[in-house]
Amino acid sequence: MTLSRRDFFKAVGLAIGGALVAAEPVLAMPEGTDPNEYAAMLYDATVCVGCNACTNACRQWNKTAPVQDDRGLYDAPKELSADTWTLIQLYQGENEYSFVKRQCMHCVDPACVSGCPVHALQKTSAGPVTYDKDRCIGCRYCMYACPFHVPRFEWDTAQSPVITKCTLCADRIQDGMGTACAEHCPTSALIWGKRGDLIAIAEKRIAENPTRYVDHIYGKDDAGGTSVMYLSGVPFEKLGFEELGTRPIPEISEGTANIILPGVLVGAPILLGMIRMTAKRGGWEDTWPL
Amino acid sequence: MAAITRSNKTNTNFSIASWLLLALTVLGIGLAIYRLVAGLGATTNLSDHYPWGIWITIDLFLIPVAGAAFTISLLSYFLGREDYHSIIRPAVLAGFIFYSIVGILLFLDIGRWTQFYNIFVPGFINLHSFLEEISLCVTLYTIILVLEVAPVFLEKWGYTGSIRWIERSIFIIAGAGIVLSMLHQSSLGSLFLLMTHKLHPLWWTPALPLLFYLQAVYTGLGATAIAVRLIWRALKLPVDRALFRRIGQAMSINLMLYAAIKVGDWMGAGEIPLLLKPDAFGFLAWFQFLIGIVLPLAILLSKLVGHSDGPFWAGVFALIGTFIERLVVSWVGLAEPSPISYIPSFTETFITIGMIAGGILAYSMIARYFKLFPSSRHS
Repeated sequence: MTLSRRDFFKAVGLAIGGALVAAEPVLAMPEGTDPNEYAAMLYDATVCVGCNACTNACRQWNKTAPVQDDRGLYDAPKELSADTWTLIQLYQGENEYSFVKRQCMHCVDPACVSGCPVHALQKTSAGPVTYDKDRCIGCRYCMYACPFHVPRFEWDTAQSPVITKCTLCADRIQDGMGTACAEHCPTSALIWGKRGDLIAIAEKRIAENPTRYVDHIYGKDDAGGTSVMYLSGVPFEKLGFEELGTRPIPEISEGTANIILPGVLVGAPILLGMIRMTAKRGGWEDTWPL
Repeated sequence: MAAITRSNKTNTNFSIASWLLLALTVLGIGLAIYRLVAGLGATTNLSDHYPWGIWITIDLFLIPVAGAAFTISLLSYFLGREDYHSIIRPAVLAGFIFYSIVGILLFLDIGRWTQFYNIFVPGFINLHSFLEEISLCVTLYTIILVLEVAPVFLEKWGYTGSIRWIERSIFIIAGAGIVLSMLHQSSLGSLFLLMTHKLHPLWWTPALPLLFYLQAVYTGLGATAIAVRLIWRALKLPVDRALFRRIGQAMSINLMLYAAIKVGDWMGAGEIPLLLKPDAFGFLAWFQFLIGIVLPLAILLSKLVGHSDGPFWAGVFALIGTFIERLVVSWVGLAEPSPISYIPSFTETFITIGMIAGGILAYSMIARYFKLFPSSRHS
């Protein structure tokens, strides 16, 4: 009895120690920041002419290699890749068409940041979701966590490949400039600014031209809100946007982490100790078989 | 049971099977080095559409199979089931070898392996990431397994003092192992909570951690039933029916809990129509449920549980079901809408086979030269 009780207290002590170490909360969204103040972009698909000035500006600023097709012609990327952080695609329907720009959505509460084991991906207080290769171990969990299929991996790099994606020009934003793509857009289909201001602009456009737009600002609330938002004249699902609901993607996962970690670390040893004390059978602990 | 004398102990001949395992292991090690030098793109068929492949699926399957170690520890040390004592050593050794394979495959899988240690750097650790939690738990648990398995070697080499130290601390060691196992076995399920909109709805549920935990318990028990049956047969020992029945009981309780939660989730989430859809996922869900849950339960709840092969087959079917679930959750059920498919490359496949072959070889060598079953000193 004394032996098992001592074991029990040892286990409880270990558990509480472990829980204290584990209890420091880390939020995907920087605490005390206002999503309306985040740097953001608004893309109006009804204005875009598909000129690709934005994708070229992105290449120049981020020094990514152009993508060649089979004939050696470029720039012909079909999807985001390690070298293509943004892309203009064309949806062609029966009686309608629309361009659509792809890049990291810079979620208000990003799943990639929540899932990254080493905080290589971080939501900065300015808004951009940034990446630190010196932390990254290359596990590629972010690629699965992202509901927009955005992060890409340098598969062809033999040593120390990195995860790549749009940075929302975090370096330019820090210096007071706008994103390279938005600053080079000749038609102002893509504009940058504070997230709250852009939402107001988008709402005004829909209100003034209700027949021109689908009554939805994609990214205002979708997936808990994103810093890159869209207006469109054709339904968003035709442009490849999935119905993701309005709850932040990491909500269930982080809620579970908050329960399971302390719950098992504290609860399981107490339970084991209690089982051990009540279920002990005549002297069997003396016959440890190893 | 306690008075086993090993008849094949003097047989030191390397059989053809052993040579084959050795050849596969050497090939696997060679390919693993090639992978580390040449990079993931050159050696695997992984892509931006399938960032994870066969290694993750195998990891997700081997970890619940290796759950045998913690399940047997739990039943034996904490529930006071003496009948399990005879199989603690084989179970713990199998657990250690399986976790070693998982560790090696994970190391090969990460792209920036030269800084893998970042998962242990305090300032980097993200405790909201279930991948981080799994990494830490699996590392700590492998250390626990080393301690639990050490007496097998220490005893042979005569370090009785160290054995006594481990014996005195065994409840702390085993207890920590159980807690760590509960954490990471459930966290393997939690890993996919972030894929709310990606994982097929028949498998995605907020109850994933609970389902994966229950699955680890019954899969570990099933693996134990398979292993002891094979060992008994190899050593020409009589079947310990009482032990088999106990394993069967523990297994059936967990199978029933799993089935109840799974069906409850399907009904609660209104996913029954998806089950009736004549597509691959509907088929896989039925297959997994009937072969992996209902069939083992039918065996274990019938008179077959007392048959010398009953729990063995229940274990086989349960493992098939678990493999289907892990395959869907980590691979086919996560597929992006894309024409690009994924079939593991030669390198991926033979690294996997090589590591498993190495594990089997190590186990059989240790079983041959060290004492895995309790000695006569306790009889």
